[in-house]
Amino acid sequence: MLPPTFRQLKDVRPPALTPPALAAAPFSSTSPVAIRLDHVSFTYADGAVPALRDISLEVQQGEMIVILGASGAGKSTLVKCFNRVIPAFQPGHFSGAIHLFGRRLLTEKVGELAGTIGMVFQDFEAQVFSTTVRDEVVFGMEQIGIAPAEMQRRLSEVLAQVGLAGFESRDPATLSGGEKQRLAIAAILALQPRLLVLDEPTTDLDPQGRQEIFALLRQMRTQGHTLVVVEHEIAAATEADRLVVLANGQIVAMGPPDQILPRIETLTHAGVRPHDFDRLFQTLAIKHYPRDVEGAAQVLRTRGVSLAAHTCGSDRSTLSCTSSPAQQLSSPAESASPLLHLAAVSHQYAGARSPAIAEITLTITAGEFIALLGANGSGKTTLAKHCSGLLTPTQGQVFLHGQELRTVPLAHLAQKVGYVFQNPDHQLFAATVEEEVAFGLRNLGLPPTEVRARVSEVLETVGLCEVRERDPFLLDKGERQRLAVAAVLALRPQLLILDEPTTGLDYREQRAMMELLRRLHGEGHTILIITHVPWVAAEYAERALVMARGRLLWDGPLRELCRRQDLCAQAAFRPPDITRLGLCFGVAPLSVEEGIGWIRSAKSARGQHSSGEL
Amino acid sequence: MSLSLYLDRQTFVHRRHPLVKLLALLFFFVAVFVVDHPLFLLPVSIGILSLLVLAGAAANLYRLRILFFFLFPFTVLIWSIFYRGGTRLFPFLPLTFEGILFGLGMAIKLSTFLATSVLFLSTTRVEECTYAFSLIGLPYRIGFAITLAFRLVPLLLEAVLTVIQAQRCRGLDLQQGHLLQRLRHYVLVLIPVFMGVLRRANHMAIALEVRGFNSGVRRTSYVRAPWQWNDTEAVLVVMGIAAVYLGLWWAGYGRVVSGGG
Repeated sequence: MLPPTFRQLKDVRPPALTPPALAAAPFSSTSPVAIRLDHVSFTYADGAVPALRDISLEVQQGEMIVILGASGAGKSTLVKCFNRVIPAFQPGHFSGAIHLFGRRLLTEKVGELAGTIGMVFQDFEAQVFSTTVRDEVVFGMEQIGIAPAEMQRRLSEVLAQVGLAGFESRDPATLSGGEKQRLAIAAILALQPRLLVLDEPTTDLDPQGRQEIFALLRQMRTQGHTLVVVEHEIAAATEADRLVVLANGQIVAMGPPDQILPRIETLTHAGVRPHDFDRLFQTLAIKHYPRDVEGAAQVLRTRGVSLAAHTCGSDRSTLSCTSSPAQQLSSPAESASPLLHLAAVSHQYAGARSPAIAEITLTITAGEFIALLGANGSGKTTLAKHCSGLLTPTQGQVFLHGQELRTVPLAHLAQKVGYVFQNPDHQLFAATVEEEVAFGLRNLGLPPTEVRARVSEVLETVGLCEVRERDPFLLDKGERQRLAVAAVLALRPQLLILDEPTTGLDYREQRAMMELLRRLHGEGHTILIITHVPWVAAEYAERALVMARGRLLWDGPLRELCRRQDLCAQAAFRPPDITRLGLCFGVAPLSVEEGIGWIRSAKSARGQHSSGEL
Repeated sequence: MSLSLYLDRQTFVHRRHPLVKLLALLFFFVAVFVVDHPLFLLPVSIGILSLLVLAGAAANLYRLRILFFFLFPFTVLIWSIFYRGGTRLFPFLPLTFEGILFGLGMAIKLSTFLATSVLFLSTTRVEECTYAFSLIGLPYRIGFAITLAFRLVPLLLEAVLTVIQAQRCRGLDLQQGHLLQRLRHYVLVLIPVFMGVLRRANHMAIALEVRGFNSGVRRTSYVRAPWQWNDTEAVLVVMGIAAVYLGLWWAGYGRVVSGGG
């Protein structure tokens, strides 16, 4: 370690890049560099290991940078250093130097930088304070002392920019998630920051909302904004000038998307899900390929893959024709043991004009794996809560093993149907992980030995044995989500309902969660998940239930659903890219592995007729 | 779910400048405060009721009907019993004519306070409130704290409902057990709720500063409602009413027993 005085001296370097005149000036308008980090490290006050290690990075004006990485890789920590939220709000040990438009940041308050650097966060509820859209946008401008006449001009301008013109008098509470997040962006844009940072802006949004934000990002990019976007998915990455991949607080890869995205190993190691096409084409040893469906289909066509009429005819592939197990599962009439049956169930919330769900009739059979799909507000959660007795229908009936659900005692019901809420923090309260799991068991009045045995068993199942003594609030999001599942799973419910079990998790955690569910399914649990994530539904669920405007639009095999573009559009469900690519050829692979299998079989089928190029 | 009583309408009352609404609230309070006699109070009460109807806010009175139903008879009863002085109506009961009259006056007075507040909240946005407060010289931060409270309470209630459901799924029956057990059960609900609120409060504090709160620059104010001639008239009328009532008080009118009570 260097003595403090010497370290300070070292921090002031390099003098050549920080002329004193510039350092004293407010912020340079000529500096081509928006922000520059020199050897930045940071350790949280309560952290054992550094959250950031020796990060050096430069963002040019007009550039768009996407920062990728797993949960806990330091993405959020990194961008929070940009405007001194760190260390101002989260104390810890900071070292290194940050220059914002040529000026070294030293003691500035976060608020003082508001007009220079804007920041939008994941939690859109926590960024909206006002009762009208107008007041929301104006709020920041009032704080930094914009003249009232100018405020009016900027208000109209930014609302038009984010597509919320005409919403001035609306109460933000009545907006959709995507609209709220766009409002948060508008409120920041009104301050005309020269650098805009978005910290996981789409994580809490449904596919519709995400598309809205991505469209806005594209538009801002063409308008010349300097953008730094933190994401744990690559959806926005293809648009960027440069990608930065973080792992354990360090930059492990940096460069243009075309260089970084094909590095599947690096991405997977960093907890980022690679693009379907990168995995597909690299396995097929094809070098140059685009990442849009039409372009990729073109590449395959030039390689001799053709419409798959023969595939379906020749080998009765599960890709193109409905697989028989799924067919069986979706026709309850043939099945012996209906677990849950909804008979013409409707629910109208008090004060609502129309029912949230209307006349839903369906049967869930023991051993199914079901994905409940639909746009936000389509009635998914309302339906799922009826399956678990959290809501009782205003019309119709729900039967559990033939008994009407509302007559089933709570303690009994909890052992039949488990419901895991979207946000694990809504149910965690105990001092230790063990206690958390034991809580439900004690509610059932089980003897202590049985409680202990089941706690151990369940913690083993979800892989939390090592942290059993820890405080649940100190676990990371993926662990907390698994703990929430464990807490419900301990009651050994036959039917396990999970509301968006992968939201807010990185790819590795998502995989771990879904593999856990697959295992539970294998052990005989019936699983129902509400999800927005295409690959999660496609790779794991057999049966799809699609809600639209409170009605059940589709009940059948998921593969079939993917073929029905009209239904997918109504449900705001976009099949995975690999599926959409397959559909160009008349097949519907649900995973990259299936896609590779299909192309190889197409190749060998073709090889019998002529020499294929694949 | 919304705690706010605000009703988004475009009535004469809604269109008044926030400062007018705030001043009217204060002046009506003064007028009602200085007299006790039901006959003197009723004109103001009827005035407020008419304004509530005019503002389309009568529904809010209905929403809060429980409050009025409890407040009114209870006040009449308490004040009638504890009023000292006057002549007893019955030899065996501590009831006097003056006492009942005073109790009735008190009930009308409190109900009118309440109704006036309902009128104010039904026609004034939280931001307008804050704006009006800043115009009369109240520190911005106090006004803003009120705004934020309005924002946080519905979030809190929503969280409570979700947590209750989440704990229900694990077999926690809030209705079960004796009082102490039930209280303990509610603690299990409140822990996740407060942890969530603290986390969110921290996010909010960061989001606020990022938007320039604490920017060190002198704040400006968006012009939410330009002052109109009607506003001047309204203020004059309300001031006039307050002045008349102050005059009555000064001259000793409006008491249940003149000269004392």
